[in-house]
Amino acid sequence: MLAIIKKELKSYLLSPIGYIFIGLFLLMFSLLFYVSVFYYRTVFFEYAFYDAATIMTFLIPVLTMRMFAEERKNGTEQILLTSPRSLVSVVLGKFIAGMIIVLIAISCTLIHFAILRHFGTPDIKVALVTLFGFFLLNCAYVSFGMFASSITENQIVACVITIGVFIAMWFLPNVSTIFSNISLMAMFTHFPSGLIVLKEVVAFVSFTILFILLTIVILQRRKSVK
Amino acid sequence: MIEVKNVSKKYGDFYAIRNINFNIKDGEIVGFLGRNGAGKTTTMNMLTGFIEPTCGQIIVNGYDVDIKPKKVKGLIGYMPEGVPLYSDLTVKEFVSYMADLKLVPHKKKKEAVEKAIMQTGLDKVRNRLTRNLSRGFKQRVSMAGALVGDPEILILDEPTVGLDPKQVKEIRELIKSFKKNHTVILSSHILSEVSQICEKVIIIDKGEIIAIDTPENLEKNTETHLVFTINIEDAENQFEKLFKNDDSIKELKLIKENDDQTKVYQIELKDNITDDTEFRKKFAIRCAENNILNLGMKKEENSLEDAFIKLIEDRPEYSHEEIKKMQYQKELDDLRKEIDEKKELKEQKKEQREKLKQEKKEEKENSKNENENSEKEISKEKKDLQNKNNKDNSKGGNK
Repeated sequence: MLAIIKKELKSYLLSPIGYIFIGLFLLMFSLLFYVSVFYYRTVFFEYAFYDAATIMTFLIPVLTMRMFAEERKNGTEQILLTSPRSLVSVVLGKFIAGMIIVLIAISCTLIHFAILRHFGTPDIKVALVTLFGFFLLNCAYVSFGMFASSITENQIVACVITIGVFIAMWFLPNVSTIFSNISLMAMFTHFPSGLIVLKEVVAFVSFTILFILLTIVILQRRKSVK
Repeated sequence: MIEVKNVSKKYGDFYAIRNINFNIKDGEIVGFLGRNGAGKTTTMNMLTGFIEPTCGQIIVNGYDVDIKPKKVKGLIGYMPEGVPLYSDLTVKEFVSYMADLKLVPHKKKKEAVEKAIMQTGLDKVRNRLTRNLSRGFKQRVSMAGALVGDPEILILDEPTVGLDPKQVKEIRELIKSFKKNHTVILSSHILSEVSQICEKVIIIDKGEIIAIDTPENLEKNTETHLVFTINIEDAENQFEKLFKNDDSIKELKLIKENDDQTKVYQIELKDNITDDTEFRKKFAIRCAENNILNLGMKKEENSLEDAFIKLIEDRPEYSHEEIKKMQYQKELDDLRKEIDEKKELKEQKKEQREKLKQEKKEEKENSKNENENSEKEISKEKKDLQNKNNKDNSKGGNK
């Protein structure tokens, strides 16, 4: 698995994708931070993460769309799947590599925390809980993006599917209360106020595991259908 | 040792591979030969565990591909068709990644990567990105990826496609050099290549194996007639008249008329003639007698190409619908057979049951008879005893 993580990280960082992702995220996050601190005169680091979750809705697909779609299109999938590596390690390797990039982006936001710390006394515990929640939310996002990438060989299709589903999850609760429990973003409401709600943690983790498993199933299934 | 038993692959109701069987021994170089779309790549993909056969069994060195895929994949180095490479890695990085994927131990990795790079002649381009390499080098990189870690079996899908003649020659030499330590399976639709490299040829057409043999045997077994190409200068135009009605010639064809008034003919001898020395002598003498200048006579070699084409052309062409019909018919026949077999089985069982019943009846009757007999015997004995007693009594009374 380590070899796959290493190679994936290399691909992210040797191509512009990794930098575009981290750069865009930090740029947008900084703008939000600026607006919340200077415009609304708040000193809460956490509030920017509500909007950051929205940013990720559009940025995560950029990161995940290539995971399997590119391999399939280039035929390198054949190299990967004829090597003595299990599908589980291939899928997990790719997932973890994606999460490492996300983690780099998230941990860069600590700079903003440091700025607030310099001028005031923000609560570090609340900030860490927020980051933890944000990380879990992104795990769920990345796992779904990876799944979308595994069902098609066209990166753009994968990207559109991912964004489409995220937007649907975002707005469906407004359409009807039946959908109130499927919104990932709605589950992220308690973390920025410093609360770890078990229900939300379980929801994120199970969503992540579900789509990792579905990705494995899709790849396994393709072996007999291909 | 690779064993392929009754393997089929179905896409929808189209058979890409139908019921193939073959064995490959250790250290052999085997070539898959077939037209485009014959099923070569599908077979190779199944051997490497990339796709699963619809039915049948593939065993590599004693391990079933379906049950122990990791073990089998560890034994095989695969160079896929179309040489897929990671374009953002350098040659060295790619080979090293392949070594990682193939679980080459960390200590031996550097050495293994170096060996693969040197073996495939990639030393000069080792630090270049694979996307910037020429086709020939890409092919080599892909081969280095298959070679790294010294797998026992190498599967190369069309290794020389798209290369220039020099590169083709080099790659062929490279493959020949694997012979000592590896089992090599390669596919090609170029016959000369297969006949040069391989010891055994498996010819596939429309998903079925139509021949497994050595290249030499394949050539021998396809009967063709002796054919000569003859270059003559015939000023008086007598050649055709002279030889048209010759009893050893089957066909005489004018192929080319050159500007310098020489002509090229093709002569095909009759099927029953196997030795051509007589004809050659006769031909030379008659030409000389009739003022025809014989500038050259070439015997056309009976090549593997012919063998291949003949094998394939001998097979009837079916349309997709016909094949479907045939499949349907076959399935129907199979079902009928099954039903018949079941009926037979039932009847056999019935017969057995009846036999058993009869046997039981007979046994019962026998035992009845025995009982009656024994009863009779017993009553006889009783009577005898009574008679004796009576006699004794009467004797005693007399006393």
